Amino acid sequence: MTEPASFIEVDDSPEALLAAFCEREWCDGLPIVPPTEERVRAMLGEAPADRSLGAMPPLWRQATLEKLAVNAVMAGCEPAYFPVVVAAVEAMLEPPFNLYGVQATTHPVAPLLIVHGPIARELGVHAGSGCFGPGFRANATIGRAIRLILMNVGGAWPGRHDMATQGSPAKFAYCIAEREDASPWGPLHAGANVVTVFGGEAPHNVNDHVSTTAAGILATVADTAVSLGSNVGWYFSQSQLLIVLGPEHAATIAADGFTRSDIQRYLFEHARLPLRTLKLGGMWGIQDWPRWMMAVTDDDALLPQVPSPDDVFVIVAGGPGKHSAVVPNCTFSRAVSRPIPPL
Amino acid sequence: MQLAKAGTPSGLIATTAFQGLAVSELGALGVSGLPLLVVEHPLGGERPEAIGRRARQAVEQLTSLLKHR
Repeated sequence: MTEPASFIEVDDSPEALLAAFCEREWCDGLPIVPPTEERVRAMLGEAPADRSLGAMPPLWRQATLEKLAVNAVMAGCEPAYFPVVVAAVEAMLEPPFNLYGVQATTHPVAPLLIVHGPIARELGVHAGSGCFGPGFRANATIGRAIRLILMNVGGAWPGRHDMATQGSPAKFAYCIAEREDASPWGPLHAGANVVTVFGGEAPHNVNDHVSTTAAGILATVADTAVSLGSNVGWYFSQSQLLIVLGPEHAATIAADGFTRSDIQRYLFEHARLPLRTLKLGGMWGIQDWPRWMMAVTDDDALLPQVPSPDDVFVIVAGGPGKHSAVVPNCTFSRAVSRPIPPL
Repeated sequence: MQLAKAGTPSGLIATTAFQGLAVSELGALGVSGLPLLVVEHPLGGERPEAIGRRARQAVEQLTSLLKHR
């Protein structure tokens, strides 16, 4: 049973609104669009306000469409974005995503939304230059709506129920699209409108202005993907890596005839650390490894960071330049994709 | 929660830094009556003697829980 929204009256100056929402801990510290009844109704369209997608952790409050719409309005979303927000919340509430862990952990994880398919272009979800950064309303406001929902519906307030030691700028907004037009291997979900949620760290830069071969680019990617300080590799069974290739790096790799599965296999085989390095720090001693890895005694043995090549996701995004990104996951959440139906 | 419903003495264990989250969680799940065992924060990066102290804290509270159930 969920209560419908109640109303408050606030002086409608921007300063008073911001102060009122900040005092109540209802926002992320940035100005909001006032969620008036009219705006919330417009965001919902024909969708039933009282339909719940389920209980959202860590405070297990019902994620009704009305509450999602309130937060989408506050974030600055256009109503056309709302189906993406709803599909992303549905994806996050699926058990493999482990939203409780993502919300309450000390790790700096944020759900990265990747919008696939024609809807990304229709809505203007940016996949080109600076796609992880500012300047694009759909990316900024869909990503922000998700964060406001996680805080206001889930109850994940920093230091109280969101226990991230330092947090992450990715927790403000984290939403991109695939650069389907520049992907030599096509999109991850051909032709379909889909959103993927990936519980990841902020992007780690892959700088390679020199390599002219797939092996060269992927060696740099592989090295960026491994470090003692990452969760990936230590909590092995749910470790995943998202590789976001810049279009120029992607073209270099494709020119050597590599398919997407070749890249996944290559990185599975090469994104490894020797046992002697793993013994130096990180989570050594409390790692959660399968029996065969725990049995390894050869200090020179190279140990994998993810269970299989399928745990390496490869997409293309970005603009001109010789940069890519690695997004390690938090290792207690698996990527989930959901179709984006009209509401 | 399922163990408690089945009559098995049960509780939640948390470190001091996570006590607030634990209390909220028990409330949100409607099981505020479940015992909360609290040990000193942190658990990671501590030497064996410090971990031993936390284990004793937990055992003392657990013993009390079992005696007074």
